[in-house]
Amino acid sequence: MRPVSRALAAIAATAIVVGACSGATSSPSASAEASPSGGAPSPSAPAEPVTLTYFTFSAAPDHLADLDAIVQAFEQKYPNISIEVQTAAYTDYFTKLQTQVASGSAPDTFELNYENSVAYASSGALLDLTPLAAADTDFDASVYYPKAYEVFQADGRQFGVPEQFSDVLLFYNKDLFDAADVDYPDASWTWEDERAAAEQLTDAANGVWGHYQPIQFFEFYKVLAQNGGSFFSADGTKSTFNDAKGVEAANWLIGKLDKTMPSDAFGPDQDSALFKSGKLAMWHTGIWLFPALADVPFAWDVSVEPGNVRKAHHFFANAVVASATTAHPEEAWAWLRFLTSSEEAVTVRVNASWELAAVADQSLFEPYLSQTPPDNREAVFDALADIVTPPVIEQQSQMQDIVSQALEKARLGQLSVEEALNEAAAQVDALLQ
Amino acid sequence: MVELARANPLIGTGTRKVRWGRLVSRTVIYAALTAGGLAMIFPFLWMLSTSFQSAGALLVPPPQLIPSPIELGNYAEIASAFPLWRFLANSLGVAAVATTLQVATSAMAGYAFARLRFRGRDALFLLYIATLMVPLQVTILPLFVEMKYLGLVDSYGALVLPSIASAFGTFLLRQAFLGLPRELEEAAFMDGAGHLTVFRRIVLPLAMPAIATLAVFSFVASWNSFLWPLIIVNSPDLMTLPVGLSNLQGRYATAWNLLMAGSTVAVVPILIVYVIGQKYVIRGVTLSGLKG
Amino acid sequence: MVGQRGWSYRGVVVLFLAPSLIPLLLFTVGPMVAAAGLSLVRWNLLKPPEFIGLDNYVRLVGDANFRAAVINTIAYVAGYLPLVFVGGMLIALALNERLRGLAIFRTAYFLPVVTSWVVVALMWRWLLDPGAGVVNHALGLVGIDGPGWYNDPAWAMPSVIIASAWKDLGFVMVILLAGLQSIPDEYYEAASVDGAGRWTRFRHITLPLLTPSLFFVLVISLINNLQVFDQVWVMTRGGPAGATSVVVEQIVTNAFSYGQMGYAAAMSWLFFVVLLGITMVQFRLQRRWVTYG
Repeated sequence: MRPVSRALAAIAATAIVVGACSGATSSPSASAEASPSGGAPSPSAPAEPVTLTYFTFSAAPDHLADLDAIVQAFEQKYPNISIEVQTAAYTDYFTKLQTQVASGSAPDTFELNYENSVAYASSGALLDLTPLAAADTDFDASVYYPKAYEVFQADGRQFGVPEQFSDVLLFYNKDLFDAADVDYPDASWTWEDERAAAEQLTDAANGVWGHYQPIQFFEFYKVLAQNGGSFFSADGTKSTFNDAKGVEAANWLIGKLDKTMPSDAFGPDQDSALFKSGKLAMWHTGIWLFPALADVPFAWDVSVEPGNVRKAHHFFANAVVASATTAHPEEAWAWLRFLTSSEEAVTVRVNASWELAAVADQSLFEPYLSQTPPDNREAVFDALADIVTPPVIEQQSQMQDIVSQALEKARLGQLSVEEALNEAAAQVDALLQ
Repeated sequence: MVELARANPLIGTGTRKVRWGRLVSRTVIYAALTAGGLAMIFPFLWMLSTSFQSAGALLVPPPQLIPSPIELGNYAEIASAFPLWRFLANSLGVAAVATTLQVATSAMAGYAFARLRFRGRDALFLLYIATLMVPLQVTILPLFVEMKYLGLVDSYGALVLPSIASAFGTFLLRQAFLGLPRELEEAAFMDGAGHLTVFRRIVLPLAMPAIATLAVFSFVASWNSFLWPLIIVNSPDLMTLPVGLSNLQGRYATAWNLLMAGSTVAVVPILIVYVIGQKYVIRGVTLSGLKG
Repeated sequence: MVGQRGWSYRGVVVLFLAPSLIPLLLFTVGPMVAAAGLSLVRWNLLKPPEFIGLDNYVRLVGDANFRAAVINTIAYVAGYLPLVFVGGMLIALALNERLRGLAIFRTAYFLPVVTSWVVVALMWRWLLDPGAGVVNHALGLVGIDGPGWYNDPAWAMPSVIIASAWKDLGFVMVILLAGLQSIPDEYYEAASVDGAGRWTRFRHITLPLLTPSLFFVLVISLINNLQVFDQVWVMTRGGPAGATSVVVEQIVTNAFSYGQMGYAAAMSWLFFVVLLGITMVQFRLQRRWVTYG
């Protein structure tokens, strides 16, 4: 037995390291190769047939047909390139992607959300798109919504192209407001207005709650900004979310519990169920739920979120990126560009309410804005006036878990809000080192 | 014990007392089984009912067990959105091959560990069991790399290869074989039979309940296996049912009625396998003549 | 009686073992050994791994989250095992009676085994919902104020245990039933001739002859359930406030969510050694209580 297992150990260990190295070390050479030839292959140029893989989490289950339409339009324009789509549910997506990247078989192009993109970029797993964009003569970065394009830059390199963005608004049930004779929310609202309205709207006897806002990392960084606080110190080396402003922000989230807001630890989609059943007056949630609420049997609308010291809104963006190991950088660039900013792709997305293409030309959103409900769709764009991107570090998931768990401990009363935030700040600081 | 009583004239001869006792105990058994059975069957009914509900109706509390109106479109919808038949065929094919191989290899290894004597047997058996002790999430990356070097990423081969052997099955059948009386085997050896003959003609038939049980478990494990097929397969043509259906879980909202329709489709085939397998489990008992 | 030496006998041994041993070595033992190599590196799966020796193991010693996960895992198994053992045994004994209509019960009790954890977890979350759940409603009827179940750190683990035991009863039942069905009738007949009662027959025939099956279930249940993961992942994600965080959940989170594959591999190797130790002790002790035919 023994020699056999020793030999096996050697083989396995070698395979792993070889796989790992071929997976992750080649980024500088790949981008260097890409630059001199430059530019997207022109549609008319006769070229070798190329197959590109594209791995996505945002298409399934509802937008597979839409993605298919975009792929077909692209393949028509670039007959030598065919796109092979691979999909996975969001919860499984990163496990699979990491395994592929780690073993040197990353898909040519894939999707990343903003929070996760930083670690991929700084690890050298992504193709530097800067030279490709520069060489592509008819490409103009201003087609993108500027903020969305900028967030996918690091160290002067463009590592992704913005594909779509979304934000969070205050959804409200008009019928409940009418019944309680409360004025609808508007852009002038502050936390205090929301609190007062929620108290009037909560009707324990009938199981009606005033509002719902999840108590977790993403809501916390936003209310912290609304309260004028900042997550990290200016130089990014230290947590500051546990200062007085942070404590007040966390208290705003937690203080509503069981008074005007139902208990937080819900089953999956329970907030959605509550709102759909007409038992929730106000709901802080994402614009991606517009299609799901199209047929509810009551009137509803949206408003920008109330602020406190200032206004602040989420900005969630997804980028499409190319792997540093792709054999076809120019073709990958052509596909990424088409997927995110071509008129064909944007039209398909807008018509399908498939989040929002991150393009600057507002006229393209006309079909989106004219759909109802909600009547106040402009709020989606009004919110962009004061967006805050999530704080991002390399150990992103771990930081999010630390903060979410601290909020949970405070919510459960295991720790005071101050203690919980201090504990989390110390742990996050340790990650920053 | 009914047949026992019939077979043996010394018990259950029909005194009133014995009959009453049997009636009471039977009633108790039935009542308890029914109560427990309902608790077991409830989620299944609930899944079935959800699969016939319209979108959204499900999430409006309280949950309704009888859907109204009955929505038949969910099944049609998943069948049109996904190559459902292809997924089913893939799952069926992979599970059938994996089950056959596992039962065969486990029975042989189980026989070796139960009946053959060789140096290092106990240590080797422990090695088998040890393979059950590291979670797949940790070994999946090396396994993926291995498949890459074998050129098997995104292939049926990669789906089946890791489930050729089963330590679980080897252990289960070893225990079953150890529990068999040796008299018949010894008689066969006396008649000059070799191990292969004894294995095929005597041990396998006698251990039928355990073999059928293993077949059911192997099938269930392969059928429900998710992480490995998720990682190793890219093309929809090779996807198994659980992987295909996982795409029904959206990032922000999940279409529960579709997911339940998919889950129902996924459960029915294993139930059929179980009902078939169960027959063999129960039939095993009628083998007689053990005293040879 | 048959030769147990010589080339032909060795050939028989190889013939019976090779079909399972070779695939196991290639596709399970090999990756396990490779994972041991991984435990010596720092690797976020994206950039090249960095060799750090035993640092991952050193770090493990001081990891409070891991320690909490170990304790939670033990608590889970301590609650789960008695439930499935006693429950599975009773059901198997009842279903082993030759009564009419038992086939339908056998199928019913097996249903949860084949239903996916996603469905089961969702259902249990509804049943145990602190506000609107059926269980608390029923408790309310008899004047008990139901707990917060999975929302309450003190009750979250019991919630997971109940759901797991419920789902696995059928697994234990099926194995024990196969064991019961393998006991030859003749033994009972002989005992009946000797005038043995129900309890005596159970005590002196059923139980001893069932010990190989019981031993199997015990070993396998311990191995499987010390690696409890699926139900935790879909029911509570380790929460609330880490109350249901278990070892494999920590391993998976570190490997794929925190980008610490090496650390996760170290966790699983340490855990592997513990599991192996527990299993070896069980095999040592089996001589004292397991009867083979």
